[in-house]
Amino acid sequence: MISFSAPWRNIGWRLLIGAALLIALIAAPWVLPLPWLLVLQNILGLAVFAVATNLLVGWCGLVSFGQAAFYGIGAYTIALSWLHYQTSFWLSFLAAPLVGGLAAFLVGLVALRAQKLYFALLTLAFSELFYVIAEQQYDITNGANGIFGAMVPDLLMQPALGYFFTLLVSVLALSALWQIFRSPFGLVLQAIREKRGRAESLGANIFYHQLLAFVISGAFCSLAGALYVVHDQTAYPELLDWVKSGDPVIMSVIGGMYAFAGPIFGAFIYQIAHDALIQYTHDWQLFLGLFLLFVMLFLPNGLAGRVFAPRQPSRTTDDAGS
Amino acid sequence: MNAQTAIIEILSAMTTASSLFIIAAGLTLVFGALRIINLAHGSFYMIGALLMATLLGTSHHALFWPALLLAPIAVAALGTLCEVVLLRRIYHRDHLVQLLATYALFLIFSDLSLRLWGTDSRTVAAPAMLTGNILLRGASFPIYDLFVIVVAAGVGIALWLLLQWTMLGWQIRAAVEDPESLAAIGTNVPLLFTLVFTLGAFLSGLGGAVVAPLQAVGPGMDQSVIVSAFIVTVIGGLGSIVGAALGAVVIGLFQAMGILWLPTWAPAFIFLAMILVLVIRPAGLLGTVGSAYFGQND
Repeated sequence: MISFSAPWRNIGWRLLIGAALLIALIAAPWVLPLPWLLVLQNILGLAVFAVATNLLVGWCGLVSFGQAAFYGIGAYTIALSWLHYQTSFWLSFLAAPLVGGLAAFLVGLVALRAQKLYFALLTLAFSELFYVIAEQQYDITNGANGIFGAMVPDLLMQPALGYFFTLLVSVLALSALWQIFRSPFGLVLQAIREKRGRAESLGANIFYHQLLAFVISGAFCSLAGALYVVHDQTAYPELLDWVKSGDPVIMSVIGGMYAFAGPIFGAFIYQIAHDALIQYTHDWQLFLGLFLLFVMLFLPNGLAGRVFAPRQPSRTTDDAGS
Repeated sequence: MNAQTAIIEILSAMTTASSLFIIAAGLTLVFGALRIINLAHGSFYMIGALLMATLLGTSHHALFWPALLLAPIAVAALGTLCEVVLLRRIYHRDHLVQLLATYALFLIFSDLSLRLWGTDSRTVAAPAMLTGNILLRGASFPIYDLFVIVVAAGVGIALWLLLQWTMLGWQIRAAVEDPESLAAIGTNVPLLFTLVFTLGAFLSGLGGAVVAPLQAVGPGMDQSVIVSAFIVTVIGGLGSIVGAALGAVVIGLFQAMGILWLPTWAPAFIFLAMILVLVIRPAGLLGTVGSAYFGQND
């Protein structure tokens, strides 16, 4: 339990940095040129996606390669209800996390029967299942073309207002996730990751805890997908597939998955590097792959691992099931 | 459906199954010994097909046979390099690191092959003796498809002979059961692992080279095939070669029937089948914990 209390020592300067960051984010529309404001808006949604995915991968030690399924479900909730029923955006935006949470409940009931590698493969299979349904059911989803159009209200189409809306929603979402992270429930999740058998013998119902974690993660991934629609006004099948599922896992690993803020940091680095590099080179995936290998071999706690949680243990052996 | 179309449908299902088996056999062989799911396995397949396209050019049919051997050998060498430089450093790490490291390889190879071969799709011509159709009980069937089935059968038999009847095969099976004891009696286990991974890469490259004349060869082949290969190995049982064959036949038939009757739902059914198998038998249809490729050691 020692490792959880360590971050609290630095609460003073952490609060200061957080406040400075928030002020910078609020000032952004007046400072940043429009293209970079849109990049920042995208990153805010991805940060929610990454932390929600890390809720499983980092906090619980459940390696999901299928969180894009819920990200895509969030985006499709808005796009499909607009396409078929002309539902109000605000209503479908509120519904997105609920639909994602429900889907995650059903998927979790099945996927959590497996452990470790088989859990990763099952979540990957679910991700591909939703992907092929979105791609093949042309009559409902427009198939591979995806859905695009005026599904977002004009109000949010103004860059600054769209940005502020995304900022507000993602700050609220990240605060909620932070409350969960340090709640007794969050601590039990991490205890299960560290010593499954001991947590169980202390009375923690592992399946119940992990299923609830899966539902929460799915709901927030879905919310991030809804924020993607605010940014891009479209939903298409690639949002759901396993390669997309790899993104938030990579962000978490790069940023540091044993610290709450690691994935946020990772989302910033990942997306800024992506958007900057693709202006100069076609080899973005090559650099990403090499960088990922470097982090994996030499920085097991990620870039932010030392900054945010200096006393987190470096876990190099497979003890997740002990 | 009359008898002729039934034969054609079954044979084309077997062709799909055969190409899937060649790839899945490599994936399952590597998993059996090394306990690693290699996400870059699809990259080896794509590179095998692309090398085939490069070696053959557009019209040099005479080079088909040497290329069919050279392309997989080059891919195998690439596999050796990956194992020695990267993978042997992560055998003791947890599965997240292993998945992401091979995923990183997948990203790197995907970009490198775009750089080397460009975005255009290529076609590979089969040699004259393998083109055309033959008549089977009045139904006409492409000779090249039969060739793919023969190659897959050859791979299956060769793997069986290797694993059951050679010293190397015994060592590989022993490494699946208990690498520590194997090392204690003097076997060079790291070298053995390198060989297994090289063989897996060879099979994937061979799969790509063999199917090259059947499809457009280009970027994206890696991403689509790896998911199919997963489904096949997971349904059959990770680490079981007979299971890979069974899984390949199941998926081949599923696809053929799906395309006939429910084209838009067929891909979804395949994933549902995989999910169902994983839930009911987490180790797959023929996989048993600790079984060495053929499932008879449990």
